[in-house]
Amino acid sequence: MTNTTAPINFWIQWQEAALKESVAFTRKMTRVPTFWERVQSIRKGVTPSEVVYEEDRLQLLHYPGKGKPRYPTPIVFIYALVNRPYILDLKIGRSVVANFVDRGFDTYLVDWGVPLAADRHLTLDDYINGYMANVMDYVCERTGASQVNVLGYCMGGTMSTMFTALHPRRVKNLILLAAPIDFATKDSLLNVWTRAENFDVDKFVDTFGNCPPEFLQAIFLLLRPVGNLIEKPINFYERMENDQFVEDFITTESWLNDNIPVPGEVYREFVKYLYQKNLLTQNQMPVGKHIVNLKQITCPVLNIMAGADDLVPCSQGMPLTDLVAAKDRKTILLEGSGHIGLAIGGKAQKEVWPQACDWLAQRSH
Amino acid sequence: MNEQTNEAANEEAANFQKIWMETMSKTMQAAFTFTPGAPAPEVLRQIRSGIFQALADSWEKFMRSPEFLESMKQWMEQAVTFRKTTNDFLGKVRHEAQAPSCDDVDTIMLAVRHMEKRLLDRIEQLSAQVNGSKPARTKGPTRSMKQPLSAKRKARTTTKSPPP
Repeated sequence: MTNTTAPINFWIQWQEAALKESVAFTRKMTRVPTFWERVQSIRKGVTPSEVVYEEDRLQLLHYPGKGKPRYPTPIVFIYALVNRPYILDLKIGRSVVANFVDRGFDTYLVDWGVPLAADRHLTLDDYINGYMANVMDYVCERTGASQVNVLGYCMGGTMSTMFTALHPRRVKNLILLAAPIDFATKDSLLNVWTRAENFDVDKFVDTFGNCPPEFLQAIFLLLRPVGNLIEKPINFYERMENDQFVEDFITTESWLNDNIPVPGEVYREFVKYLYQKNLLTQNQMPVGKHIVNLKQITCPVLNIMAGADDLVPCSQGMPLTDLVAAKDRKTILLEGSGHIGLAIGGKAQKEVWPQACDWLAQRSH
Repeated sequence: MNEQTNEAANEEAANFQKIWMETMSKTMQAAFTFTPGAPAPEVLRQIRSGIFQALADSWEKFMRSPEFLESMKQWMEQAVTFRKTTNDFLGKVRHEAQAPSCDDVDTIMLAVRHMEKRLLDRIEQLSAQVNGSKPARTKGPTRSMKQPLSAKRKARTTTKSPPP
């Protein structure tokens, strides 16, 4: 008796499961048309801000916050040149900027803007000794402070490090977030791919001018092909009915796909002097007529890194601690977090940013 | 030479096999340690993530291999050649139509930048002469040009819309 019913039961169960799955699939698919509307409604930056300074394509955003700043030294956020900076202020509850604004810091963010073909000749010298120096001057002039706190993220962290080394008197505290410093490591695929024997950056820049955003996007995608092309879509499909998840996903993906071109000469200098020759750690990095010497950095340094960062592995950021002359230096390593998670991840918002705000508050009077 | 190539290929194959053997053993472990009380989809997810991890490891290894790097280099060279040919062709078309090409604009931009650099270097020298024998370094190094590129400093205030 049991022998004959078992296959029938199995067949019925299989049919039920298949039916349920097709109903769930149909239900999920009915939500697809609303996604475009959601993409359109994404806001790029959630904390109220005002543009207080402009130079060429650069805009300096100021976050007025509620009431007067509690600390006399303003903080300036410097983001990379490869993406838009609103990742630092992506969503309510996931905003690095909001953490500092809510704690009473007078907060500014540099939006480099989107470079055009005519900007291909801009160099690191223009960005560091030009735009950044002008922004810091303007912020000091506006606030009456003699120094500023600088927070640099990713490539912006490397640029902030160079700026601090070249202008040590202008920076009171330096916070680095996943900033690549030592490019000798082979932990990241990017370091392997950009080696001189594998990539002729001169030919590339001479032909393309600015580094095209599509190229950067393809490279970033290839760093984790299985994660980006297989796991991510599957996870999305499975959790499509969770509104919160969908909103987070669309917001993050919109930012990820919002790459911008990198000015050709900056790209050339970054690849050649850093990825290929690793000059920054040897204190031989040229920026215009000047050479960056990391020993010039004597201000307090907070170095924040992500344990599972595939773009800027810890081995690329960690050496900074020993390369600077600062006595007051601290490292925060967020285990299990990735490059973007360090800014917008729930764990980072709970563990890292309150700690970073405390660190800065103690040193901003 | 052939022996060396064979050895390298064998090593690659052995590494690849090792990754998959480890994955399969982990997958089997997950399947056999499955308790009746535990929800089945979780076990399936673990198995799936194990397979993805192995796939990711294989890809990572492959993308570091000399074969991949060589093919990437060739692909880049082809892309650069194609772009160069296209640029040349479009430049010729524009010239035939008596319109300026990107190259022309680039040449002008470069000439302006060189002129700007020379001018600002000279101003810096003169400024140093006026201030004394050494250049003023109170504020740290300056870009080869001392003023903003377009001297377009504005104290404009545009309030962005606050969140709802």
